[in-house]
Amino acid sequence: MKVSTLLVIGVSVFALSGCGPDPVDPQRQIGANPYLPEIHQYLLPPMHVAKVVGWQGEKPKVAAGLKIEALARGLKNPRSVYALPNGDVLVAESEGPKAPVNRPKEFVMNLIEKQAHSQTKAGNRIVLIRPGKSSEAAQQSVFIDNLDSPFGVVLIGNDLYVANTDAVLRFPYQEGETQITAAGIKVADLPAGPINHHWTKSLTASPDGTKLYAGVGSNSNITENGIGAELGRAAIWEIDRATGAGREFATGLRNPNGLQFEPQTKTLWAVINERDELGPDLVPDYLTSVKDGAFYGWPYSYYGQHVDPRVMPERPDLVAKAIPPDYALSSHVAPLGMVFSVGQNLPSNYRGGAFVGEHGSWNRQAYNGYKVVYVPFKDGKPSGMAEDVVTGFLGGNNTVHGRPVGLAMDPQGGLLIADDVGNTVWRVTAQQQSAQK
Amino acid sequence: MTEVRPRSAASVAGHPLHVIFVPFPIVCFVGTFVSDLAYWQTANMQWANFSAWLLTIGLALAGVAAVAGLIDFLASRSIRSLRAAWIHAGGNVVVIVLSIINAFIHSRDAYTSVVPTGVFLSGLVVLILLVTGWNGWTMVYRHGVGVTAGDRQ
Repeated sequence: MKVSTLLVIGVSVFALSGCGPDPVDPQRQIGANPYLPEIHQYLLPPMHVAKVVGWQGEKPKVAAGLKIEALARGLKNPRSVYALPNGDVLVAESEGPKAPVNRPKEFVMNLIEKQAHSQTKAGNRIVLIRPGKSSEAAQQSVFIDNLDSPFGVVLIGNDLYVANTDAVLRFPYQEGETQITAAGIKVADLPAGPINHHWTKSLTASPDGTKLYAGVGSNSNITENGIGAELGRAAIWEIDRATGAGREFATGLRNPNGLQFEPQTKTLWAVINERDELGPDLVPDYLTSVKDGAFYGWPYSYYGQHVDPRVMPERPDLVAKAIPPDYALSSHVAPLGMVFSVGQNLPSNYRGGAFVGEHGSWNRQAYNGYKVVYVPFKDGKPSGMAEDVVTGFLGGNNTVHGRPVGLAMDPQGGLLIADDVGNTVWRVTAQQQSAQK
Repeated sequence: MTEVRPRSAASVAGHPLHVIFVPFPIVCFVGTFVSDLAYWQTANMQWANFSAWLLTIGLALAGVAAVAGLIDFLASRSIRSLRAAWIHAGGNVVVIVLSIINAFIHSRDAYTSVVPTGVFLSGLVVLILLVTGWNGWTMVYRHGVGVTAGDRQ
């Protein structure tokens, strides 16, 4: 008995002790050449999920020279924002489909992730906000109802495109409308199906308005649902607006969101959520320009040609083709929104670059993300270190007030932030705005 | 001739509970090894999913079997005096500990949830089960643990 007791204790200590790698300063993983530590596969992955407490009169903190106000409160899980030309703001209230339980792990994961997300049942609709003098004075109306996990929205002329999780729909829109009752016309199907792991379909249009681009996330963390589930996934799709014909514009992008054309060079950019469970500091999420026909590695490799040992069969032919992305944002920050800073409202040090909404980490001990950062650009490329712009989403004692998701710029040059667990849309403007008028 | 057979304390109507429950974890853990081998050879995720479920269910029922076995063990000085009982109990504690570790390994995603650590542990568990099973049979068939006298002449 003594021997076996010792064995039990010995093996349990081995099993449960973190014995993790030394933490990497997230600053070393921001920019063009992030430091990539060795792979560390855990026995017991560190899950660290903040408890949602909502906003009780607090506000997020902003960098010097900026101010932040709630544009609208009391929303139901707002995941993305889109500003219409007349100043009305569309908000997709959305949540993913029910996750299947194919393994015992998924049962546990679903319970944990439930904690990290909004307790409010999402509307699965688009709400229109007509801004007022305060969030209380803002008008809210149900703009399009009965959607299927909507996320991406883009307006071209009088055609409003909405990316449901399974299809791109087109609705007729007239300026000033506060409700659309016409049925949407399906433009193209998008990969969805019964697993639908990464369900958010980001949407944007080419500058000439002839093409739509839809982000389609992978159907797993790293092919654990089988490679057959990944057809058409981990890709950005290009959809011809006139015919609805689609093709994979770029592939190997695990979960691409925040699709936007950089205004100066008219190239497509996106933020990508990279893979989990290779360690607290692998793999950095990133911001990248998206090249036509390029392969960015997922699932076979990351950051160019760093092979992921979890994918079998191996594909050295594809790894050889994989190109590294442009700009790392550090690990597990979960970027889900991105917008280029256009307009003249914000101070000059916040013009021309990209804002990134970092939803925040759940699988590393020290929180990372939970903020909006600004990446300066010069000549259409990132030109410096990312700076914190909006913080204060985390409360003390492992609590969280809100989590930033989708971003947009409104016609007055304000930065809009969808805060899903905070059920709020925030608006960031220059502090001196009223004095300038 | 009076034989003294060690009695099973955790039994219902003379049927020891440990013997009723113990086949489930044995079959589950052997099944885990078989489906791990199948995954190793095919890389078809279906087999890895089988393994993860078999391990989890095996562990749950191993817990039930262990409780019944532990009650028998602690309640009977004559069971505790058997060398086979100590090998059986100690070995099966190792089986449970290794299988808990293996369940965590199997909760990883894709290939490294099985190869190499997972399939190694599953195989090791089957080998230990052969030893603990042999000693369990020794307890019953040689020493008559839990066996009650029937109507035999």
